[in-house]
Amino acid sequence: MFDRQQLDRQQARRSFLGRGLGLIALNSLLKGAGEDNRASKGVVNPLHHEPKAKRVIFLYQAGGPSHLETFDYKPKLAKMDGQTMPESFTKGQQIAQLQGKQLNCFGPRFGFKRYGKSGQEMTELFPHIGSIADEVCIVRSMSTEQINHDPAHTIMNTGSIIAGRPSMGSWVVYGLGAETEVLPGFVVLFSSGRGGQNQPIAARQWSAGILPSKYQGVKFNSVGDPVLYIQNPHGIDDALQKKSIDAVNALNRVQHKALADPEILTRIAQYEMAFKMQSSVPGLMDMSKEPANVLDDYGAKPGDGSFASNCLLARRLAERGVRFIQIYHRDWDHHAGISQNMPLKAEEVDRPTAALIRDLKQRGLLDSTLVVWGGEFGRTPMSQSGDGRDHHIKGFSYMLAGGGIKPGISYGATDELGYAAIENPVTVHGVHATMLHLLGVDHQRMTVKSQGLDVRLTGISGQVVRDILA
Amino acid sequence: MRDLILLLLAGAAALSAKVSFNREIRPIMADTCFRCHGPDRGARMADLRLDLREEALRKTKSGVIPIVPGRPEESAIVDRVLATNARVMPPKFAHKDLSERQKALIRQWVAEGAEYEGHWAYTPIRRPETPPAASSLIRNPIDNFIQARLKLEDLSPSPEADRRTLLRRVTLDLTGLPPTAAETAAFLKNTAPDAYEATVDRLLASPRHAERQAQVWLDAIRYSDTCGFHGDNPLPAWPFRDWVLRAFRDNKPFDEFTREQLAGDLLPNATDAQRVASAFNRMNRTSAEGGLQPQEYLAKYAADRVRTTSNVWLGSTLGCAECHDHKFDPFTARDFYSMKAFFADIRETGLVPDRGPNAWGTQLALPTPDQKAQRERIVRDLEEVRAKLEAAAPSISAADLRKRFDAGELSWRQQMPLAARSTSGAKLTVLGAEPIDSMYEFRGSLVSERKAAPGLVAASGPAPDNDTYVVTLKPGAGEWTALGVEIIQDEKLPGVRMARGSDRVMLTEVEAGLSPNETAPERPLGFTLATAGNQFPISGLPAMAAIDSDPKTGWGTAIHGETRNLFLALRFGEKLTTTAASVLTVRLQHDAEPRRAVTGRFRLYLSNAVYAWPGTDSIGLRDPLELNSGLPPAVLSNLRGEGEDRKPLEAYLRFASLPLEPLVVEAARLESQLGLLDAAIPRVVVTESGPPAVTRILRRGDFLDEAGDIVDPAIPGFLGKVAEGRRATRLDLANWIVSRENPLTARVFVNRLWRQFFGTGLTKSLDDLGSQGEIPTHLELLDWLAASFMERWDVRQSIRTIVTSHAYRQSSLSKPDLDARDPGNRLLARQSRFRVDAESVRDLALAVSGLLEERFGGPSIRPPQPESYLAALNFPKRDYSASRGREQYRRGIYVHWQRSFLHPSLLAFDAPTREECTLNRVSSNTPLQALVLLNDPVFIEAARVFAQRILTEGGRTFPRQLQWAFQLALNREPTADELRILTGLQRASHRRFNARPAAAAELLKTGESVVPSNLRPADLAAMTTVARAVLNLHELITRN
Repeated sequence: MFDRQQLDRQQARRSFLGRGLGLIALNSLLKGAGEDNRASKGVVNPLHHEPKAKRVIFLYQAGGPSHLETFDYKPKLAKMDGQTMPESFTKGQQIAQLQGKQLNCFGPRFGFKRYGKSGQEMTELFPHIGSIADEVCIVRSMSTEQINHDPAHTIMNTGSIIAGRPSMGSWVVYGLGAETEVLPGFVVLFSSGRGGQNQPIAARQWSAGILPSKYQGVKFNSVGDPVLYIQNPHGIDDALQKKSIDAVNALNRVQHKALADPEILTRIAQYEMAFKMQSSVPGLMDMSKEPANVLDDYGAKPGDGSFASNCLLARRLAERGVRFIQIYHRDWDHHAGISQNMPLKAEEVDRPTAALIRDLKQRGLLDSTLVVWGGEFGRTPMSQSGDGRDHHIKGFSYMLAGGGIKPGISYGATDELGYAAIENPVTVHGVHATMLHLLGVDHQRMTVKSQGLDVRLTGISGQVVRDILA
Repeated sequence: MRDLILLLLAGAAALSAKVSFNREIRPIMADTCFRCHGPDRGARMADLRLDLREEALRKTKSGVIPIVPGRPEESAIVDRVLATNARVMPPKFAHKDLSERQKALIRQWVAEGAEYEGHWAYTPIRRPETPPAASSLIRNPIDNFIQARLKLEDLSPSPEADRRTLLRRVTLDLTGLPPTAAETAAFLKNTAPDAYEATVDRLLASPRHAERQAQVWLDAIRYSDTCGFHGDNPLPAWPFRDWVLRAFRDNKPFDEFTREQLAGDLLPNATDAQRVASAFNRMNRTSAEGGLQPQEYLAKYAADRVRTTSNVWLGSTLGCAECHDHKFDPFTARDFYSMKAFFADIRETGLVPDRGPNAWGTQLALPTPDQKAQRERIVRDLEEVRAKLEAAAPSISAADLRKRFDAGELSWRQQMPLAARSTSGAKLTVLGAEPIDSMYEFRGSLVSERKAAPGLVAASGPAPDNDTYVVTLKPGAGEWTALGVEIIQDEKLPGVRMARGSDRVMLTEVEAGLSPNETAPERPLGFTLATAGNQFPISGLPAMAAIDSDPKTGWGTAIHGETRNLFLALRFGEKLTTTAASVLTVRLQHDAEPRRAVTGRFRLYLSNAVYAWPGTDSIGLRDPLELNSGLPPAVLSNLRGEGEDRKPLEAYLRFASLPLEPLVVEAARLESQLGLLDAAIPRVVVTESGPPAVTRILRRGDFLDEAGDIVDPAIPGFLGKVAEGRRATRLDLANWIVSRENPLTARVFVNRLWRQFFGTGLTKSLDDLGSQGEIPTHLELLDWLAASFMERWDVRQSIRTIVTSHAYRQSSLSKPDLDARDPGNRLLARQSRFRVDAESVRDLALAVSGLLEERFGGPSIRPPQPESYLAALNFPKRDYSASRGREQYRRGIYVHWQRSFLHPSLLAFDAPTREECTLNRVSSNTPLQALVLLNDPVFIEAARVFAQRILTEGGRTFPRQLQWAFQLALNREPTADELRILTGLQRASHRRFNARPAAAAELLKTGESVVPSNLRPADLAAMTTVARAVLNLHELITRN
């Protein structure tokens, strides 16, 4: 049975003994020369099976990108543009803002092209992602249960709509442990863009929920301190900070001598780690030394907090052993103005997404890094306010790459109007199950007891999508 | 792991002794069998049910008998659990393999007759016999129970903790604050035999104790200051928090306490206080997200109430039966929906508006008698003035107005300022022909553009908390009746797209002066009337507040869906005549309490009309600057002969009539007073009962399902029935919850109390007393406590009993052999050590430093928090605005609880977001906590102020000072080692700050409390690092 204190003690010992593992040592670890591939630093040890991926970069497109303008081309819908949506599709289905409104077909606003040797079909707005079409797998048969943003984010992140369940990043770090002593195992980044209706994203989305809070995601900020409270107080330099922490730890050791309380040792270890984080985070965030051509590839300007900069930062985090990296783009809620906004959003994500995947590949990290691209739901084939689409849960698209995903394939399909996933449907829990599988974890076996339930990321369902595994 | 060892401990006896169903068998079955062979009909396999004896003894359809008592070899379950092939149970795919020991237990239990026992938590509570004393260390019956068990394990209790530790422990536990040095000294000196008990009584009677107990309860009932979903906007809740505080202060009996929260509104002649208590039913998260489906959210809200109620009072996971019968406990889906039906009378909507006149549904206003009287007077006066005004004849005619309008006389004239400056360091730019970037909402879409906006004044650079903009302009020769201030929206402005911060924009005062030329002195101008064109006027921000000479009140807008620019029209006291050389100076003052509620972009206008109406239709920089027609749209259509209702025109004609000005002004003044008063009257969401909605069983929890059975309110069937023969109400539910017939509530509550004082409950599953929960380590003690509690539902008495027991008072020191035998300290041969709660981590630093501001109750407060922490929120865009003055140093329980982004220092120390009921806060130990204590400016300020006290009150020498500081912070003397370590830190810091005075100055600047001038900065800075080290000690935040 799961015992929080016991676990904390183990982990504390581990981080205490494990200090001094540098970037170079880590890099060799990442490459996994001759080690037992099932050994884990987390609770699932050994892993349930040989892992393909060691980390995840989740490019989260909040607001709900239109599948019909990105990955799912529907010529029939184009033909029926302006006509009444056949009731056979919509009868008895959940509808968000279009409740009680006339439902008309709304053809795709942009053309599609076939890209690469694989001939994968994507929007013409994605020439860069198109250029790596042979590296990615497109899933066109996603569905979810929740039609409003907040609960839909919650189920996509935690597998449940009840607040207080661990997020996927927390589960992954819980199961696999961290590969870095100086950075959090789960990092969340927010992107600023030419933002319109930027989605509010609650801290619940990266919370550890019922798991110990050390597994929670840590949000890195592009404005202010990169990590909350990471800067020394005004007037205290690194040397004095170090002296102060040394004094605190020395005093705590005096206490430990008297009480032999292992919790004090944990506290000491956490202060040491805090100082290491303070020392390593500024270097991590400082992208000024990245070569100009790399910055160009991503379209990143250091310090601008853009999705592009965050993609580059994601690579730097991956190199440093961060287990789960989640980047939010928050501006896909196109109830209106979709024709005007899609090109802007495509500009913001197309180049950096492609650059990240290419960069990971060049550095030999793509094989061990699962990259996921998608939002909390898709958008209706019906029009809203003349030039928009409403929330849609019955069918939408995801893109995956690396980490044991079969490259250059498309999987699943929606019906001819892009309404419902009809071929090889994939649920949110299916994505979670597949992600965990690639990381060496059987989603049914990683559970935590809470209120009498064996809580797991995939609730009581979820199936590994075996057809997209390499 | 801990459980395993316990089991082994217990097992040493069990192997020879008789196997107990409750202790040994039920946990195994609950974990491994009931999922498929338990209460859930839908999930049952092979027609086989093991949770009921008569079922387990019955031959199944396939002809096997699961259990034949006394004959393990004939019992199918024994056969199957012992199987080594594919027939083995539980099946391999379930990943629930039984240990050899578990298999042996099952076999032995069947051999011994397979006797079932009712689940302990569902059997009626009876006060068990107190076991005989096992030692002389007995203070009350708790010790008899604890020590009887220890004796069984051949262990003995620890001696009483030393008095210093004991006082610190009980003070932290009962109040969440440390004892003062004086309290410690007094207690150490007091040799009376009941000195400890007297101290307990003193602590229990203090308001600090109420604050401590309330904090725990607020977690349970998910109290929060914001609605939780999507925009997560603030709702009126704090009077309910105060009700909880007062209930604990007055030791309200728990049965009343329960009844009033669940059904205070249904009590006969319910008082305001009882109605406030019913806010419990309104503490669920709510959503105002456009496009939500009402039935879906009504289902969510109701399910939240069922989960919370059954968790908090019944220790049951009834919430698990929303989609199917409970898998482990005898709750059916019908029970879930029957419980939900109790709440079906609550009037509510699926979309709960977070703004506008219907915001938050039913609310209760709580005026003081004074406010009530004041309000009545204002309303009466206002009616009188309005009546006079309605009866008066305007001095201008519609035809006249039409003529003036057609001549363009009513239009506002935009002004080109000569200069604009900030008095507080912001940069103000008056735009000319150069373009400016702008982004604003237009017809539901966001528009970005770059265009010239001559005359626009834009603020940039530093964003001070308060600021006054001084703008000068030359209107040219003319006559003027009014000044116009237009606040321009821009998406990039963090405060509701208009202010440079905060969640509002607020002009507290507008002043103007005229001088004949640029060098001549200025003559002040008065305003008589202020009128605003807000789409959504806010009662607490009325236009007249901008000219009422009160720097606290102001006009503007707050958390709201304004999609247009704001316009304020200010009528001059007398007509203004200007020449070509005249210079008009306008002062826009922003002195609001919320920080940075300061205008980001604005334009100024003059009017020579009689009288111009504020512009209402400009959006961003979209419209031509002169579009502000000077007439309300409704009046305009009246003038064009449109519109049935002529009232707008009539009202406007009176507004424009000079002879009626005194009445117009008086009405505006009274309206403004009324608005300000209403905003000052506390409000709280409460429960309003109405005709109950139909409650159906939603199969698989599907809110679209309309074919399920209709159910009436009922408690879970196996626990009994309430109110037969009529529809049961929430009050019936509450009465049953606190009735003797209910076996759960008292057990659940005393178990949670136990956790507060020992770190772990008697059963550690605080929210699940069902079969999946842990069996209590001391079942009889739990029942004894529960039975005692039920006698008078006296919470304080139960706490007193617990904290005066020897078990509580004993030392926490462990011995290696004890650690090995009872690593979780569940047998309580010693006390436990654990970290204090998040709020107390903060309170401790404030109390030790002397910064703590103690005041009982009141609106929530906002301590400083990192910049941009709320940046991921929207609807509206908003910025955080820390409380001013002493407010920010109040206790953690008063911190504004923002569900989606709880204050980061509280969050780091495991305070729950209260999105859901929380009964068991986790207690983690993380590097982020170290970063908070080391670097959060709140803690740095506490260290600095602590250092000030050490230097001024602590004596002359460093050792003396340190002794004083240790007494204050830890209630003990420092050891030689500690003195040595801190002396080293002090010297090193001192050297550094002497060499770099600027660094010392920087450090001392942290926080808003005054730095005394009589201390040398280097001395204070060095002592600050010492104080900081003390405030970072593990010991400080650990209750021992």
